[in-house]
Amino acid sequence: MIAVAFKLLCYDKAKFVAMIMAIALAAFLMQNQGSMLKAFLGMSGSQIRDVREVDFWVMEPDTECFDQAKPLPDKALQMIRGIEGVAWAVPILKLDTNGRTDHGKLRTLSILGVDPSNRIGEPKMEKGQVEGINERNVAVVDPGGWAILFPGIAFEPGRTIRVHDQWLTICGISSASPPFTGLPIVHTSIFTARELNRGESRSSTFVAGKCADGRKVQEVLERINRLTPWQALSRQDFMDQSYRFYEGQGVPMIFNITIMIGLLVGTAFTAQTFLMFVKDNSRSLITMKVMGVTHKQLAVMMAVQAAYLTFLGLAIGTTIATLTSEFVRQIPFLRGLYTPVPVVLLCAAFMAGIAFLSAFIGFRRVLAMQPSDVFRS
Amino acid sequence: MISAVTCHQVRKTFGSGDTVIEVLRGVEFSAHLGEMTFLVGPSGCGKTTLISVIAGLLNASAGEVSLFGIHLPELGSREQILFRRKNLGFVFQQYNLIPALTAAENAAMPLLAAGESLKSAVNKSKVVLERLGMGHRADQLPRTLSGGQQQRVALARALVHEPRLIICDEPTAALDHESGETVMQLLSSSAVHPDRAVVVVTHDNRVFHYANRIAHMNDGVITHVEEKRHKPHLS
Repeated sequence: MIAVAFKLLCYDKAKFVAMIMAIALAAFLMQNQGSMLKAFLGMSGSQIRDVREVDFWVMEPDTECFDQAKPLPDKALQMIRGIEGVAWAVPILKLDTNGRTDHGKLRTLSILGVDPSNRIGEPKMEKGQVEGINERNVAVVDPGGWAILFPGIAFEPGRTIRVHDQWLTICGISSASPPFTGLPIVHTSIFTARELNRGESRSSTFVAGKCADGRKVQEVLERINRLTPWQALSRQDFMDQSYRFYEGQGVPMIFNITIMIGLLVGTAFTAQTFLMFVKDNSRSLITMKVMGVTHKQLAVMMAVQAAYLTFLGLAIGTTIATLTSEFVRQIPFLRGLYTPVPVVLLCAAFMAGIAFLSAFIGFRRVLAMQPSDVFRS
Repeated sequence: MISAVTCHQVRKTFGSGDTVIEVLRGVEFSAHLGEMTFLVGPSGCGKTTLISVIAGLLNASAGEVSLFGIHLPELGSREQILFRRKNLGFVFQQYNLIPALTAAENAAMPLLAAGESLKSAVNKSKVVLERLGMGHRADQLPRTLSGGQQQRVALARALVHEPRLIICDEPTAALDHESGETVMQLLSSSAVHPDRAVVVVTHDNRVFHYANRIAHMNDGVITHVEEKRHKPHLS
C-alpha cells in the first residue's frame, strides 16, 4: 500500500508540486531568516571570540556588550595583574571614530588597539604581515572593512586613512570575524590607538587576561569582582552577555516575524492543498475503505505521503537557503553567514510538523467518510 | 440451495424525530451460492441501502443480516473490514477505479489491502485481466480505457481475491448496450461459481435474462421473487 500512497500523491502533478513548493518556501524562509538571525547575533561576540588566548575580560561594570566599550582607569591593568591567580593581563583599547580614506571616503571605524609587546589580541591575517602594526600609525583592516573603505579596489599595502590629523597606513587585511555593527575593524598598536582616542585620558577599555595554571576561571573571576570595582567575565560569558544585549534590542523580532510568516504560509498552503488532495481522492479513498483497506493502513499511507513531502520540500528549501547563504557570504560584511545545522534540524521539525498536521487533518476527513457513499454516483 | 446472504425483517431508518425516514421496512431477502440474484426496483425503493446493509457498510436499524451464517453487526469494526476484504467483491456503476493506478494495479487492490506485495498482487491480477480479455490493457491508466474496459477492470478487481460474494451496483448503467452485454456475459461466466453468490442491483431490464432469481423491491420491501428456469452458467 506504500507504493499506492506514492502513486496517489504523485498522480496530480500540479498539486504535488504545489505542496512541495509550499514546504520548500516555508523551509527556505525559516532557514534563511533563522541563519541570518543566528549569524547576526553571533557577530555580537566576534571580537571577543577572536582573542583566543584569554580566559577573562575585565571592563566597566555598566558595559553591556563589546561595542559599548567604556574607558578603564590606567590603574586597572596593574590591579588585575596583581590579583592572585592571574597569570598575565593585557590592555585592549576599543574606540569608534571617523576616518577619511586617501580617496575621500568618510567612514566610521572601529579601532582595536592591542599591545604589540605580547601580541595578545592580534588578528590572523589574510594578506600582509601583522607585525606591521608594531610601527606607529600602521594598521590592518578586516576584509569587510577594506570593501567599505576602498570599494572596488583590490588590496594594496600603503593605502591610508586620515583619523583626526593622523594618517593610518594600511599594511594588511586581517581575517577578523565580521562585527555586528558592520563597521570596519581596524587593528593597530595600543599606542597608536591611544593617540587616536582624542579627549580621553584613560588608556584602555578592557583588560583581558589568563588564569595561572591550575586556577579555576570562576575562582579568579570572583576574586577580581570582589577586590576591584570592575566587572570580570569569562570569555564565554562576555560573548553571551553581548549576544543577550543585542537579542534584547528587538533584533530577533524582525527575523522572527518573517520566520512566523514562513511557518504560517507553509502551514496554511500545505494543509489546504493536502485537504484538496484528500477531497479530490475521496472516491478512491472510500473505495479503498470498502475494499478492506483499514484505517491503520490509510494512516500509514498518509504518514508516508507527509514524510515524502517533508523530505522533498525540506531538501529543496535547504538547498536554496544554503545557496543563498553562499551567495550572500560574498558580501564581505556578511561573510559570517552560514546555515547552522541546529537551524536546519529545527526547520525540519517544523516542516515535518506542518506536513503531519496536514496529513492528520486529512486523515480525520478520511475517517469521517462513509463507506456506504461508495454507491453514490 | 445454500444461502450466502440472508435478510430477515431488516429495517433501516435515517434521521431522527420528525425527519426520520424509513428506507427499509422489513426486508426478507436471500441470495444463494452458485446463483446470480438480481435486485430490481424503481429509484429510491431502497436497493442501494439494502446492499450497503448486506455489505456491512451500513448497520441495519432492526432485523437480522447474515453472510455465510455470520452476523456482521456482531463483529467489531476491524473484523468487519477484514471479513469484507476476504469475502466480498464489489462492482460499481461508476467503476470507482483509482486514476493513479494502472488497470492491473487497480485490479490488485484487494490483494494489496491484504498485505500482498505489489509485484505478486499485480501478477495475479494480470491473470484475471487476461481471462476477462483485458490482458493487453493491464498497464494502462483508467483514463485511457473505455467505459466497458473500465468495468471489466472493476470486475477483475472484484474477482481477484476469489471472494464468496460479489455485489454489483448497476454494473451496466453507465455503458452502452453492447458493452453492458459484454460485462454481463463476463460476470455470468466468471463470477458465478458454486462457492460464490452474486447480487446485482440493476434497472436494466435488457440484462434480466442473466439472473437466476430476481427480487423485486418497492418502497422498502421485497414485493416478490421471480425464479428463472435456466440453469446458471457455472465456470
